[in-house]
Amino acid sequence: MSTTTAPTPSGTVGMTVRYALLSTRTAYRNVRFLVLTVALPLLLFLLYANLYQGQDTDTGLSVVAYLMVSMASFGCIGAAINTGARVAIERQTGWNRQLRLTALPANSYLIAKAAVSMLVTLPALILVFIAGATVGDVHLSATQWLDTGLAVWLGLIPFAVLGLVIGFAGTVDTVQPISMITYLGLSILGGLWFPVEQFPTFLQEVAKVTPSYWLADLGRSVLAGDGVPPTAVLMLAGWTIVLGVVGVFAYSRSGKKV
Amino acid sequence: MLNTSSPADPAAAPDGAAIRMTGLRKSFGPIQAVRGVDLDIAPGEVVAFLGPNGAGKSTTIDMLLGLTRPDAGSVSVFGDSPVRAVQAGRVGAMLQGGALLPDVTVRELVGVFAALHRHPMPVQRAMELAGVTDIAGQKTTKLSGGQSQRVRYALALVPDPDLLVLDEPTVAMDVEVRRAFWASMREYTRSGRTVLFATHYLDEADAFADRVVVLANGVIVADGTGAQIKASVAGRTISAVIPGAGMDAVAGLPGVVSVEQQASRILLHCNDSDTALRAMLAGFPAAHDIEIAAGNLEDAFLELTAASRQESNR
Repeated sequence: MSTTTAPTPSGTVGMTVRYALLSTRTAYRNVRFLVLTVALPLLLFLLYANLYQGQDTDTGLSVVAYLMVSMASFGCIGAAINTGARVAIERQTGWNRQLRLTALPANSYLIAKAAVSMLVTLPALILVFIAGATVGDVHLSATQWLDTGLAVWLGLIPFAVLGLVIGFAGTVDTVQPISMITYLGLSILGGLWFPVEQFPTFLQEVAKVTPSYWLADLGRSVLAGDGVPPTAVLMLAGWTIVLGVVGVFAYSRSGKKV
Repeated sequence: MLNTSSPADPAAAPDGAAIRMTGLRKSFGPIQAVRGVDLDIAPGEVVAFLGPNGAGKSTTIDMLLGLTRPDAGSVSVFGDSPVRAVQAGRVGAMLQGGALLPDVTVRELVGVFAALHRHPMPVQRAMELAGVTDIAGQKTTKLSGGQSQRVRYALALVPDPDLLVLDEPTVAMDVEVRRAFWASMREYTRSGRTVLFATHYLDEADAFADRVVVLANGVIVADGTGAQIKASVAGRTISAVIPGAGMDAVAGLPGVVSVEQQASRILLHCNDSDTALRAMLAGFPAAHDIEIAAGNLEDAFLELTAASRQESNR
């Protein structure tokens, strides 16, 4: 069935879902987006898995499992931030004005965009985990896989909000460099590329305020069967609240400009 | 008489007006874009909003669509607030400029736009009316300027609106496409829909609208049929040597819109040259070397808007 004959949902929920699906579909059509958020973390993981096969970390977790969580987080953060940042493009090209001439309410637009940011993280997460289970030789029970995946996925909420903040604060010209710097900066500082323990002492302190550090911490902890670490949850929730407040401010400011 | 259900907003009175603007004002910093617009449009009217760039057309349209809040005054669409009318799917609009959503095909774009409305027309029909069926499979980023405009027209049609608002719809269209566009619009409005379109072409306004509203410097300076507007703006110019006459005295003559000094001659731009001539001869019997010329339409139009600019600077 083509889109032409698809039934048109009349409710706001239907509209929100429909818009979220279109946005998700267009995100996947963006080649740069796929390379950056899916192919790159997957390739890096395969490379690392090959290098560190059979080695264990100090905590007893295999290095490959450790890196699997790091690379999945890396890819997912990129997907979440980049998707939100696309809002800047939709905003400045005038598409949002057009969208305001529909029955889709403004908050539904925000919900749809946040949902898209969360949805587009799934390929990176799932593919890196599959690579971990097969090539990486990471053996977990089905429940452990599910719990770890869910922990990482829910831990991405502050990053989805961060993407929207960039999308509402940035302009077409600034949004690409800002989201790239934020994405790579958080990934490196949060210890997703190199373990934080290898950082100089002062950088280790910096790392421990980044949401990316706590995202990976959350994922590894659940994977190792140590349960959900309260500090990680608090830090990620804190980031979500702070970014949410900044986001509301950026959103209302951007509305006045339109 | 006030509407008791919303006494704070007399414009919302359900008296059947498609559009009602009352004392509409909007400033951007020190710039007064709209300086008090009052306008009623009845259902089924096809109205042209005519004015030069910067006249306040787009700002007024933005307020009409609920995209911008007026600083003062009120606007209602079918007796309701603009936002509510838009959400009810009663308004379709073609906005000026702006890119279309990237990375989607024309069909997908029109399709999703239909899905975001309460009672859309079939996507295929909207695409046929707008003449975009041949480019339905193309990505929006690959379209020419004229093609993009037609896609925007399809987006305006797909809500199946009672009111169609078009902000400079034929910009970037070549002559042939422009003609096809107006033919299609005519076809669509035959069913009694209301249309408001902005343009800065007097000919376009005259040819396609039942009523022409001229906007200059944020106020309405003329309102009537195309023929009436032409008659009033395309006035005649009296040129004469008038010894001893002050410019202000000449400008105050009946039928005179504006005056200017040109060497020894004074030019009187008139909207009623017969009355002006009689008054001039009565008031200044020494006037000689009198010539009367029919004004050029575009010049006269500029004259009209320039006159209002002087007034606004006072």
